[in-house]
Amino acid sequence: MKISVNWLKEYIPVDHTVEEIANKVSLTGIESGPVKLGEELTDLVVGHITSVTPHPDSDHLKLCQVDVGEKEEIQIVCGAPNVAEDQYVIVALHGAHLPNGVRIKRGKLRGQESNGMICGLDEVGVPAQYMPKEFENGIYVFDEPQTPGQEVYDLLGLKDEMVDIDITPNRADTLGMRGAAWEIGATYDEKPKFTKPELNQDKLKDLTDVTATVEEKDLVPDYLLRELKGIKVAKSPLWMQRRLWNQNIKPVNSVVDAANYVMIEYGQPVQVYDLDKLPQKNLTVKLAHDGDKLILAETDKSLNHNDLVITSGDEVLGLAGIINGTKAAVDENTTNVLVEAGVFDGARVRKAAQRHDLRDDASNRFEKGVDNGIVSEALVRATQLIDQASDAKEISKEIIGNYTKAQPTVIKGSIKHINHLMGLQLSSDEILQIFDRLGFTSELSGDAVTITIPTRRWDMEIEADLVEEVNRIYGYENLPNTLPAGMETRGGYSAKRELSNKLRDALLASGLDEVINYSLLNKQEVDDFNILNSEYTKLLHPMTEDHEYLRNSLIPGLVRDVAYNQARKNDDLQLFEQARVFDRVTGNDRPKELPFISGAISGNVIEDAWNSDAKPVDFYYVKGIVEELLTYVNADAQFSFEATADYDNLHPGQTAKILANGQMVGIIGKLHPNYQKAHNVNDTFVFELNIDALFDLNTRNVKATSAPKYPEISRDLAILVEKDIENGQIIADIFSNGGKYLKDVKIFDVYEGKNIKPNHKSLGYHLVFLNPNDTLTDEEVEKAFTLVKDSLVQKFNVEIR
Amino acid sequence: MSLNDTLKNLRENGIDEAKRAQKLQELNDLRVNLLGKKGPITKALRGMKDIPAEQRPEIGTLANNVKKDIQAAIEEKMEELNQKLVAKKLEEETIDVTLPATKNNQGTKHILNQTIEDIEQFFIGLGYEVAGGYEVEEDHYNFERLNIPKNHPARDMQDTFYLSDELLMRTQTSAQEGRDMEAHDFTKGPLKMISPGVVYRRDDDDATHSHQFHQIEGLVVDKNISMADLKGTLDALCRHVFGPDREIRFRPSYFPFTEPSVEVDVSCFNCGGTGCRICKYTGWIEVLGAGLTHPNVLKMSGIDPNEYSGMAFGLGPERFAMLKYGVNDIRDFYLNDVRFLEQFKGVN
Repeated sequence: MKISVNWLKEYIPVDHTVEEIANKVSLTGIESGPVKLGEELTDLVVGHITSVTPHPDSDHLKLCQVDVGEKEEIQIVCGAPNVAEDQYVIVALHGAHLPNGVRIKRGKLRGQESNGMICGLDEVGVPAQYMPKEFENGIYVFDEPQTPGQEVYDLLGLKDEMVDIDITPNRADTLGMRGAAWEIGATYDEKPKFTKPELNQDKLKDLTDVTATVEEKDLVPDYLLRELKGIKVAKSPLWMQRRLWNQNIKPVNSVVDAANYVMIEYGQPVQVYDLDKLPQKNLTVKLAHDGDKLILAETDKSLNHNDLVITSGDEVLGLAGIINGTKAAVDENTTNVLVEAGVFDGARVRKAAQRHDLRDDASNRFEKGVDNGIVSEALVRATQLIDQASDAKEISKEIIGNYTKAQPTVIKGSIKHINHLMGLQLSSDEILQIFDRLGFTSELSGDAVTITIPTRRWDMEIEADLVEEVNRIYGYENLPNTLPAGMETRGGYSAKRELSNKLRDALLASGLDEVINYSLLNKQEVDDFNILNSEYTKLLHPMTEDHEYLRNSLIPGLVRDVAYNQARKNDDLQLFEQARVFDRVTGNDRPKELPFISGAISGNVIEDAWNSDAKPVDFYYVKGIVEELLTYVNADAQFSFEATADYDNLHPGQTAKILANGQMVGIIGKLHPNYQKAHNVNDTFVFELNIDALFDLNTRNVKATSAPKYPEISRDLAILVEKDIENGQIIADIFSNGGKYLKDVKIFDVYEGKNIKPNHKSLGYHLVFLNPNDTLTDEEVEKAFTLVKDSLVQKFNVEIR
Repeated sequence: MSLNDTLKNLRENGIDEAKRAQKLQELNDLRVNLLGKKGPITKALRGMKDIPAEQRPEIGTLANNVKKDIQAAIEEKMEELNQKLVAKKLEEETIDVTLPATKNNQGTKHILNQTIEDIEQFFIGLGYEVAGGYEVEEDHYNFERLNIPKNHPARDMQDTFYLSDELLMRTQTSAQEGRDMEAHDFTKGPLKMISPGVVYRRDDDDATHSHQFHQIEGLVVDKNISMADLKGTLDALCRHVFGPDREIRFRPSYFPFTEPSVEVDVSCFNCGGTGCRICKYTGWIEVLGAGLTHPNVLKMSGIDPNEYSGMAFGLGPERFAMLKYGVNDIRDFYLNDVRFLEQFKGVN
């Protein structure tokens, strides 16, 4: 809401600039910004049209002689249909600046001199949608004579300065000028002064023809009406109109405007009804029947039994606390009017406003709460304003549908505790003085304070609220900077997070860039890599199909990244992500959250450069990264790779399960060519590891041994073996026969093709023997080597070459 | 010619020949030829038998000296030739050091994780534990336990992805507060934790909104926690992240789970507070929300608010990174274009 500084001055003396006020209010209460209307406007004055004659060369233009307070009248050519003699109008003089950089200059219009412009409200900055209807298609005309030559800004509020407050939901007490005056007053130590509205006692009558009924008393603690008879609907006074349009409310007539004005003044929404349009002389607040209709100007709303409505007879007049229909709208012919002020349940209003897409100024206030201590007074004020502008013959007393006496909140606190929570040592006097500024009354008894909170601050409930009030008014800038001074604590990560960090560092060191992807995937993506074989976890109300399911693998996200990058010619990619996947078991609503670490490598791993040839990624490159990564698990386990063709979107001949002691902990492989094609990625290898499973293996205790002092002896072995025998089998057999001094076996050659028997391959192994405690002899090594060879011949029918 | 003269001649010729040599091979040949078993010196010495016995030692000494002198001349020349060879080799091996390196890249940690870990390290140093929490959370912990009952207007501020009536994608890492408070044994000292992680909101993705983003929640519960402690802690944090000359200020705000609640601004690190485009000419940049733990939140975790108090804060790594590095579009963090990612190598 925008708080007009001029209006505020009716309640508190403020002579600071609007920028200063906004800044101060931001620091002590509510986030605010300064608004200065019409800063650019110049040379706009009141003009009195003394004569209007037709333009000799135009059907619609007229020549106006206008008194602008100078010695001589000026001639202005005007095309507005409503221009007429003896009008008081807005004149933009020669040189005037208007909004949007428009500048008015003296000139000739079809040969006739024009020394300025007679303006409409929208031309001087009042938004077109908020100006009175009668001036929508023409110039603005003052209702009453003004002094020609006088600046128009104050008359029309064109240069109003306002503090635009952006309230948090707990501070709706400032959604009225009076509440805002209390808040701003407290920051400047100025108590606002208000005039209590009073009705003309001569007009007050015991009218009994109208009744109010509340069926849902729990939802409507207050429901009050007043009746005004024999009114004459008119235009509102200019001061009210300009305040309304500056609040983005269109002035309509003296009745509707008064209701809107009171909402701004008090924060209490008020409704008005044409009494003679009611089906019955009764207003009833109740829940709608399913299928009831509310007729609005532009559309009809179909209601249901959750909607709280105002009815008369069988007809729905309005949605309580939100909007009234056209049925009983007040117009220029209305003579008898009902004014309504009530309090409606915030949650009920909020839901209805959302359901019907009708959130407005009124519903916003009821949602966040209104002061039920001023309902009656606000009703009096609205009645008074209507009477002042529309001159009622009779005014009823308060007609009560429901009434709940507002009770001030009493909060007990301790000076010591309040200080303690702030980290300050203020005296009780200083603290009580702040409460007084806020309009709270306090009683002190030793250290104990009892604070009585007026109903306008319904957000105040507990001692902590008092702490906030004292601290913010005292000034947060006056707080010292301290650190918690309790017992020492040991900070750090969980053991599992430590492992994750270590694994991430290992992949970074291997040259992989870290990515972060969305956790929400589309259906296809959760189908594509359901390696966990888990039930999907689906959002109830997704925003898009693209983000509908919780991910069960990190691979789809990585593939997206590869595709995104390769579409932008970033062809060589080494990416990894460490994040959670969601693994749900049938029957459980809640998925397990498993930390995974996964990678995708595509393109060249050695670039085509002046000193090197390009080398594209292959399975073994990625396997090397994974093996290095696995050493960082510090596992007391045997890792192995087992070929698999189980996964549709991975290459059946270049994919392996990663096993730890025979249990699957992850997967490595090439994306299936069809999948690559469908996702527009080049040859890409991926891996995925379950950190949870690795964490359980993270148990290796290293006991240091000295580096060996005795020399190694090595033997090379070349064999010819059938093609489908895996290296892993050979190595395992070599180790199981190589004796206790066999330290390492490396494959240094794999060859198939020319000069090799069909369906066979040639393998070369380098065996290293070492006795850490003595010098090995050739005889010992030869003996072990022979056993190795014999076993291979026997088991795999190899040919030793 | 006397044996004496023969030897002297051999010396003179040998040294002369060594000096004239151009190749190592010539010197090697010279050594073998002159000094070898079949060489002229050995041959000449065979004539010793014709020399009177008393002269033999003198001739023997002379012969040895001749050998030594020739040897020395050969070695000297060899050394000279070797040095020449080395110099030549060095010249041949000279390279253009401005040619590009052979690539040996480490990967780049995602800038959000760099930002998060920088903040984690700061708090670990102050004795805070890092707790992970759940991304799929119960309504109970995400809302109810944070003093946000159903129908609370604050639920408007964060539209939620629900999985069922009771399960949702957490909208805030504050959801971890209740879990940590109920798990903590206060007889062993204060609760000091931060909880970083991913949170989710039903937002359309655009330059400033993302349906997924990160938060770091901080919570301290002890017997003497005050607003001043909160201010001191966050002041130190902002200096750590944004530079030692930064200041912070508190502005009143509202969160259902803290009372008092504040928004925290840091003095603009770009202009130092004089006003610029980044701070929208205010000199201050809003960086996080914080407050003292609401007594209801403490009570719901079985903690007596008359005995204990707590402070809590929540900050957004995306916002921090956007401010610090001038990232204009939050989606950049999630598109993972390597040209974007790799510019942050080593910044933290």
